[in-house]
Parts: sequence; structure tokens; C-alpha cells
Amino acid sequence: MTRRIQVVAAAAVLIGSAIVVSAQQGGRAGGPPAPPPTPQAGAPIDLTGNWVSVVTEDWRWRMVTPPKGDFASVPLNPEGTKVANSWDPATDGSCLAYGAAGLMREPTRLRISWENPQTLKIETDSGVQTRRLIFGTAQLPAQRSLQGYSAAEWEIAGAGRGAPAGPRRGNLKVTTTMMSGGWLRKNGVPYSENATLTEYYDRFPAPQNEEWFVVTTIVSDPKYLNTDFVTSTHFKKEADGAKWAPKPCRS
Amino acid sequence: MARYVLCIVVCGILVTSAAPASAQVDLTGMWAPIFHEDQVERIPGPDVGDYAGLPINDAMRLRADTWDASLLTLPEHQCKPHPSTYGFRGVGNLRITGEVDDKTQQIIKLHTHIQWQEQRRDIWMDGRPHPPEYAAHTWQGFSTGTWEGNVLVVKTTHLKAGWIRRNGLLITDEATMTERFIRHGNYLTHIYMIEDPNYLTEPLIKTNGFQLTPNPAMQPYPCYPTVEVPREKGEVPSHLPGENPFIEEYAKKHNLPQNGVRGGAETALPEFVATAGKPFVAKPDAPIKKPAPVVDNEVHSLHVQGNVWMLHGGGVNAAVQVGDEGVLVVDTMTSGLAEKLVAEIKKLAGNKPLRWVVNTQVDPDHTGGNAKVAEAGESIIAGNFVGQAGQAAANFAKVLTHENVEARLVKVQPALPTQALPTDTFFTDEFEMHFNGEAVQFIHVPNGHSDGDVMVFFRKSDVLVAGDVFNTTTFPVIDMEEGGSLNGIVKSLNQILDITVPEDKQEGGTYVIPGHGRLTDEADVVEYRDMMTIIRDRIQNAINKGMTLEQVKAARLVRDYEGRYGAARGAATADAFVEAAYRSLKK
Repeated sequence: MTRRIQVVAAAAVLIGSAIVVSAQQGGRAGGPPAPPPTPQAGAPIDLTGNWVSVVTEDWRWRMVTPPKGDFASVPLNPEGTKVANSWDPATDGSCLAYGAAGLMREPTRLRISWENPQTLKIETDSGVQTRRLIFGTAQLPAQRSLQGYSAAEWEIAGAGRGAPAGPRRGNLKVTTTMMSGGWLRKNGVPYSENATLTEYYDRFPAPQNEEWFVVTTIVSDPKYLNTDFVTSTHFKKEADGAKWAPKPCRS
Repeated sequence: MARYVLCIVVCGILVTSAAPASAQVDLTGMWAPIFHEDQVERIPGPDVGDYAGLPINDAMRLRADTWDASLLTLPEHQCKPHPSTYGFRGVGNLRITGEVDDKTQQIIKLHTHIQWQEQRRDIWMDGRPHPPEYAAHTWQGFSTGTWEGNVLVVKTTHLKAGWIRRNGLLITDEATMTERFIRHGNYLTHIYMIEDPNYLTEPLIKTNGFQLTPNPAMQPYPCYPTVEVPREKGEVPSHLPGENPFIEEYAKKHNLPQNGVRGGAETALPEFVATAGKPFVAKPDAPIKKPAPVVDNEVHSLHVQGNVWMLHGGGVNAAVQVGDEGVLVVDTMTSGLAEKLVAEIKKLAGNKPLRWVVNTQVDPDHTGGNAKVAEAGESIIAGNFVGQAGQAAANFAKVLTHENVEARLVKVQPALPTQALPTDTFFTDEFEMHFNGEAVQFIHVPNGHSDGDVMVFFRKSDVLVAGDVFNTTTFPVIDMEEGGSLNGIVKSLNQILDITVPEDKQEGGTYVIPGHGRLTDEADVVEYRDMMTIIRDRIQNAINKGMTLEQVKAARLVRDYEGRYGAARGAATADAFVEAAYRSLKK
């Protein structure tokens, strides 16, 4: 009998677990399991389209090139401080300011599209850069690059017991490595090739029928930073690309 | 045994499917602010004149340009906390706790506490509606929350006028806010959007970062205001328009383009970069669009505190005190609302006798219901009064006011019925009685709105009924024909501040029922008093410079307040108010 109870209990746990998984995946109990969608088809939020950064924060460090040595609020360690203080203003406009860890803080427009069902592409007109956010497993590139390698995954919001039924929700998580190093700000505040960039993209509606997304950016760099550098940057959806104005950086 | 098996099955399902009943993620805990954005603004404090990237209109620019940091030394400003439109930007840890209904295990509310000035806020999760528009506003506002997936969405109304940046950039009490709290691991991203029809051309969006911290440090933050700088009573520090010597300092100090630092929605967009450094040209403000106030011609009651209720109807306020001795009514609204007013009073007071009607002034929107309200009451009369008025006078409530009000009521044509006229008057600065277990003071405030205005202070209930010397809807109506003046208005408002005592952090304590608009406390009166004083000083300065009325009107010296307080028509339009103010100061 004891063994029978164990079996029943195990079955109960499995049933319960199945309910949780089903709820999290938005599936239906009893139905055939849905085929795994492509990342594009399974996107809980639509990030594609034209977006513009609205610079209501850190204006002094984003809209103009700050003076040499002005790295207020960036948690630089002594080595990072030394590098920041050695910046040559003649290099203003360098593509180093448009690497993955600094790019989204630029005053820029974004064009986001699916390059293929596994790759979300972000293009910027400021600095004319392209980032590729790759879902699933792929081989890391052999060479480091300004935009590095970005591994993407959807994080699906759990539908807890009692939560009302509703649309599938979630966010995009992106982890970027293999960067070649660059600047967090236009005035040479550095991040190194050892840095890891973690981003969370959350899209939401706003008053006056606007659509926005916010990207929370966490830069971890043991070489130049004392602690994670955390910012969040907001973008507003635009109807089209009429204001797209490419301005290349200086390589 | 079958029972045990069933129990195990059920328990197994419950255990494995257990999840928060309504919260998708756990936001509770102690969160440390991350100052990696706008650190200089948020820790040392913003520079005067830094409006870069903010979608402000020209009215707000003028308001901030004329703001003087010395204002914060006034005792009535010292203990103001950050409003929720700014508090999450400030220093100090954020603690989020939840309150759960034991029976349903549903979250009733989330509570946030930020250390600096003890900013305490409730976010109601139980689906309750927001209060009516005539309810009091608070620093933190009234917030309700819902979950969208793992994101907590919070909507806030009923805010007091307060910061969006503590260098004079303010939002009005008509602003609202929508927030999103998003947790990613041990990081919390707080997104907030503020809408203010009076000062913002589009919603202002900002974000804050927090990190979960094991350090539970949260210190108390007591605050007791005191006089720091000896000043003339009623002095309100401000700069005159165009005369703030510090406005350009910030841009010069950091070599920033002046046209960017002056702010405006266009300064936040990428295309601004190409125009940086061009001369700044302020755009004239577009006409302000906001919903008209709800005037449903019904009479609503709102319990203030103690024995006192505020009655709101047809855009005007009355008050009622109810107790064992009966009912005392302050103002009677319009004649058209009188029956509904009486019905609402009876709803509150039951069969208690309506003994007193008090008029704070003569205007028909405050005295129009006198006859019907008095007829619904009864008096205790005796002695000579019976001889003068007859025993029938006992069938009506007594009507009390200042004699200057009576002098005008008796001249109203066509003549008012006898019951509408005062039975009792006073000519001194103050009249007082003890009614329903508390002292009631009737305070004459001359030469503000008119020469006969009366404020009524219920001392134990700690509620002041201000009449038309204070309102929250428009500029004051200065009736010069009846002895009103701008200096009288300013004096009256300071008189109110002499009476009011806030409970804590410049909030609560004494409540003030204005002649029109929503329920208020001292901080709201301070906001209005500051405005009146600042405008008085500007117009007086213009007069001293020899400017004519037309020149003063053309200079639009009140345009920073016009969107919020300028009436669309009548005696409280910006033009009408400036004219009355100018003429009264020229006298």
C-alpha cells in the first residue's frame, strides 16, 4: 500500500507540474503539444518597426559630447578612470562610441526587423550600426567585434493560478559577449573586451496611443568597472522611417 | 486509506501548482536606488535653469525661471516630501511590502516607503475606483495597480502640485502618472510617464533602476519646520520674470547649448543634435486641452473629519456640521440645488434639527438656497426675539453672517424671501459659539473677495470653511465694487495659514473646504498663496515701473498660472483677474 501511495503522490506531482508548465506555455490541458514555434512566431512582444530614442535622461552626456574626464555616475575603477582621462578629444565621433554596450544610449533612430526567423536585427541611423540578436544555439564567432555576439531569448510571463486569462506576455533578454571594447559615452569612458552586456527589452502601450519600449542595460566589466553599470533607455514607436537619417561614425 | 490517497493527490496538485494568487512576480523587499543615470541631478541636486530634454511648455519655463530656491526655507515648504512623480528619483532605499487578505489570499495593496521625508504610498490592487475629483489630493496621490503579465502597472491621480525636477520644474495638481514596475532578477526597472495638461506638451517619460539589497536599513525621517530666515510675514521669495541672474549659469558652466538647456520636447530627439547652439526661441504655447470639470448638478457629500462633511454640487461647495445639538450648514449653494442640498443634509443628519445657516459671503451661488434650507430647519427662540420675530420664527433655522453681507442681501432685487435673510449678524473681526461639542469660530476676512467674507473654523473637527477667499479652480474673483482687493486676498490666505496645522510632512491635519473645487489642506493653500503673492509682486513691480494696464496685460505676467487657473469666461479669466489685481493695487 505504501508503494501505491508513493505512485499516486508522484502522479499528483506530475499532474501539478504539467498544469504549471501548460499555464506558462499558454497550452491547453489535454490537447496535443503545440509544435515549438520559431522565435519570430513565438514572440510575446513585437519589437519590429521604427523607433526613436527620447532623451529625457543623461541629456548632458548623450546629446552632446561631454568634456574629457566627465564620467559622472559611471562606476569606473581606477584603471577605467585612467583610460577615460587619457581620451583624445580629436577622436570625437569615433565608432568606438557605437559599440553594443554604448549604442542604445545614443540619440538615434532604430529600425528593427526579422532578418530570418531566428535573428532580430537592430539598425541605428546614428553611427550606422547593425546588431543581430540571435535566438537558439549558434557557434560563437572567432573574432571579437564592435557589436559582439548577442544571444537572444524570450522570457515568457508566467500565468500564475488565479491570474486572468489574457494575451501572451513577456520580454526579450539579450546577452552579448565577444565585444571588442568601446566607449560607454562619447568622451571615451571605456568598456573592455572582457565586458558582458545583458539587456532586457520590455514593450508597452502608453497614454495618447503611443507605443514604447525600454531596454534595461547591464554592463559587467571587471577590467574597467567597480560594479555593474545599469541604465534603462526608452524608445518611442514611429509610424514609418521618414526621419531615418544615417550618419556614419568615424572608423 | 482512499481518503489519504485523495488528500495526497490534492495536496500534490496544490503544492506543485502553487503560485502567487494575483502577483506574477514578487516586488516586495528592500531596493537600493541605482544612480547611474542623472546622478548629478539626483544626488547633489539639479542646477537652476536645467530643463534639457523635458517636454515643458513656455508656461512651465516661466514658472521655473522665476522660481527661487529660497522658497524652500519657508517653514511651510521645509517638510514637503517629494511627490510620487519625483520620489523614486531621490535618495534613500525603497521598501515594498504587500498586504494580503487572509480569507482570499489576494493582495489588497502594495505599500512603498522611501526613506527621504518618509514618502509612504499605497498602491491599491483590489480594483477599487479612484476617489471623486472633489476629494483631497496628497503628495503621493491615489494609486491603483494591475498586472500585465509580469509587469505591475500603476495609475495615479489626486496628486498635489509638486516636482518633476527640484529646480522649480513643477507639475500641477491636474497631473496624472502611469508607472510600470518590471523585475529582472535582482534588478527593478521603474518606468513612469507623467501627463500634465498645463505644463507638459507630451507625456514625460523617465526610468529609474533599483537593485535588491539584503541591507534592510530604513531610518525614520522626522521633520519639524522652523523659521530659518527672518522675513516679513507672507513674503514669498521669487524672481521677477526676466530678472533671474542664474538662468544661464548651467549652460555656461558645462558648455552646453542654451537652446537645449531651455528644454522642450524637441530637445529630446536625435534631430536636435544638428540644431544645437542655435539661438533659443520660445514657442508660444498651444491652447491647453483638458476635460471640463464634472458638473452634474447633483449634491455629493464627502466626510472630511470629525463632525464635518463637505458638500459639493454645481461647481460650488458648502459644508455641514452634524452633532447632538443639531445641524449647522455653511453656505447654501444655488436656489436650483437647494432641495438636493437639503436632501443630502437629511441623509447625513437624519432627524436632527437643522439649527443654523451661515453665509460666508453674498454671491447667489453661496446664498441661493438660504430660504429652502432655512425652511427645513427650526430654531430655539425665546425672550425679546419672540416679541420681535414672532413664534413662527421657530419654524426656520437661524441665518448668521457678517453685517456687510446682510447689507447686500437686503438690497437684492427682486427681494429675497424673509427666510433667506440673516437673523443674526456680527460686525466684529470674529464671532464664536459652541455647538455640537466644539468651538466654532466665524472669522471676518475683509477686503479680499469682498468686504464681508467670513471663514468658519470648526476647532475640534479641525476643518476650516474658507468661502471664496480660496478656491482650487480659478483665479480669485476680486469684487472691487464690494470692497475686494488682491492684497486682501493675499492677507486672507495668510490668515488661513495661521490657522492650519499639518499633521505630518506638510499634509493632512487641518482641512480646508474652499468656496469652489476640491478638499484641501495647508499645502494646497500654500500653493495658492504663493501664486497670489508672486503675481502681486510682479504686477506691483510693473506698476512701479509705470506700466499701463494694457501693457501689463500684454506682458502676460500670469501666463505660468493661466492654464491651471484661468477661467474660460467670466470674472476669473486671466485678463479679468489681472485687471482687477492691477486696479486694486493702483488704488
